[in-house]
Amino acid sequence: MSYRGIDVKAATATDRPLIDYINGDNLDVSDEEDGFYSKDDDDYVIHPKWKAMINRTSNRVPRRLQRYFVIYVGLLIFTYISWKTYLGPRWEANRQELRDMDDTPKTLYGTNMRPDFTDMIQLKTMDEKHLPKGTEGKRLIVVGDLHGCKEELEALLKKVDFNKENDHLIATGDMIAKGPDSPGVISLLMSLGASAVRGNHEDRTLLSIAEQSAHHAPLPGPEEPTDRASDFLDEESFSHGDYKVRALSKQFSKKQIHWLSQCPVILRVGPVTGVGNLIVVHAGLVPGIPLERQDPFQVMNMRTIDLKTRVPSEGREGTPWERFWNYQMKKLPVHERQTVIYGHDRKRGKRIEKYSKGLDTGCVGGGKLTAMIIEPGKEKLVSVKCKTYIQ
Amino acid sequence: MVFLQPVVIALALFSFLSEALPALQPRDADFASLRGLTTVSRDRSGKKGDPVDKYFHESTFHPHYDGRFAQRVVSYDTRRTHLTHLMQTYLKTMHGIRAETWIMHGSLLGWWWNRKIMPWDSDVDVQISEQSMTFLADFYNMTVHHYDLPGVKGGRNYLLEVNPHYKNGSTDDRLNVIDARWIDTETGLFIDITTLRRNETAEALGLKGHMMCKDKHHYLHKDIFPLRDSVFESMPVKIPFAYSQLLEEEYGPRALTRTEFEHHHFDTKKMEWVLMDTNEKNLIIDERPFRGAKPHRLGPGGSGGGGTSINLRDPDTEVMHVPGSALEIS
Repeated sequence: MSYRGIDVKAATATDRPLIDYINGDNLDVSDEEDGFYSKDDDDYVIHPKWKAMINRTSNRVPRRLQRYFVIYVGLLIFTYISWKTYLGPRWEANRQELRDMDDTPKTLYGTNMRPDFTDMIQLKTMDEKHLPKGTEGKRLIVVGDLHGCKEELEALLKKVDFNKENDHLIATGDMIAKGPDSPGVISLLMSLGASAVRGNHEDRTLLSIAEQSAHHAPLPGPEEPTDRASDFLDEESFSHGDYKVRALSKQFSKKQIHWLSQCPVILRVGPVTGVGNLIVVHAGLVPGIPLERQDPFQVMNMRTIDLKTRVPSEGREGTPWERFWNYQMKKLPVHERQTVIYGHDRKRGKRIEKYSKGLDTGCVGGGKLTAMIIEPGKEKLVSVKCKTYIQ
Repeated sequence: MVFLQPVVIALALFSFLSEALPALQPRDADFASLRGLTTVSRDRSGKKGDPVDKYFHESTFHPHYDGRFAQRVVSYDTRRTHLTHLMQTYLKTMHGIRAETWIMHGSLLGWWWNRKIMPWDSDVDVQISEQSMTFLADFYNMTVHHYDLPGVKGGRNYLLEVNPHYKNGSTDDRLNVIDARWIDTETGLFIDITTLRRNETAEALGLKGHMMCKDKHHYLHKDIFPLRDSVFESMPVKIPFAYSQLLEEEYGPRALTRTEFEHHHFDTKKMEWVLMDTNEKNLIIDERPFRGAKPHRLGPGGSGGGGTSINLRDPDTEVMHVPGSALEIS
């Protein structure tokens, strides 16, 4: 057995390493003839004449500049493409939105008579004695959607060093449902003398309670057993799947239900120096409509506003209501501006802007429970981590 | 042929018996059977031209009148007061019987604007729960309710008539989409009552909480219930839970902002719809002197967020009143 003229067998028999048998550096061995690698005369992409000319010119430009040129061209192309595909449309949309927010539609939303309901309080003003002013050291603690998370509320109150004498607690609605201890949360709020607004879950639950006590099912017929009506009602509610609400509503005591039903849809808190003229609602408000005439369903449910008509809606397509609210507030004289503190939208979570403060940070779903501490001249956010009760 | 004899005897006996028994016929409250209740002498119901299976017959002169009780359309002002009384007496009666009923469609829009029927509206729309409908059919069908009304000499009689086809919940039964009517026996104006039923098609697909009416309007249970208490035409009324969303979905956001509709302008000081030109009164009532197949519902986004004008909807389209975000949990 031989390799390149070396008797391998004999070589390996000795102690000498194989590498020593290699002579010279040229290990590149080709089976092709030399002519194979040589360039043909007509084998070029750019004609040699042109090539020479390019070389002559480019040799005069420093290499670094050439490199920069390529980089700049690349950037230019990138900018152009991103403008065309993404930034441009967004810029235009933004400009359109600003135009729409400036435009006053010919017919305004809210010219109708405000939808009015028995057993629902539209507007209340918080007792002035709770308002933080001067150097009394009074504080307002506004807390986001609680959803029956009593432990978390207790932890949060401890964290902010809650003192019943000096501090006043306000809940932004949705204190009940979903979470582990809705009645517990309500009794804690009651014992602390807290204020609260009606959220969509309080709304549904309270109406459901009223419906159950009113016995809407028809009276029994002349020859029917007298207990027919109630049987009907339960059967139907079960099949429609809202027995969850019914089950929840049965947990509350009469006092708690009364307390819940006294919660207004809109709570006018009042002015706090350096913070603003405060209003608390569950979901949002439409700027330009007096508080008394806001549609209560929308105040408890809205997320966006259609700028063309100024009609709010629960959906997410459209401009977030608070963006429009902030924009409109900045156009008003300073003393007419109002700051809204709200919850409801845990998807967007904490949203603090000049004239709107969103506090729902998804407590019941394992997020956080957030409170805003309001003192004259300052506002501060404090939050505690929550257990995951629902997905 | 002797073996056939018992059969022949049986047949003969049967034919004899069937002659003796009154023939089974579908219930029908025709003009003749309402003598005494109606004041008109000529039947103007469109029964002749209607398919046999259709129960309610609109008049030959206007789809919003009952031809057994009326001869012609009434004037603009008369219609307004009669419709108001119709609504008030209906709500009062249902409240008394404790039937669960609420306003929908054009009436809900009217409530939203100023808690009144919109003056150009020539019908009133209400829905009723399934078990209340059964109850009306069992105990109140063909009952006449007398009401003494302010300014009405001798009061007025109202007839509650249930369509026997209410038991058939299928949307294929296109001739009988109206389950019951509350009829003004003086003018022939009426309220259409439709039952909100469980949507069994959706339930079969495993979808929960879906409801429907025979007129092919679909709703989610949670958008209708629990009902709210409000006031309509100065009477206590039930309003569906997500009223704003339902209105926006059915008529478009413009219907909630437009203050000019069907020759009327919404006066924000009086909180009233005011007729812009009183000469138009005559124009309005005779606008649709045709005989339609049924009182028509507004289609999805029909008249550009329009009012409650008649809008012939394609009978095959189903209308789902579910706002986009309705399924989202908040």
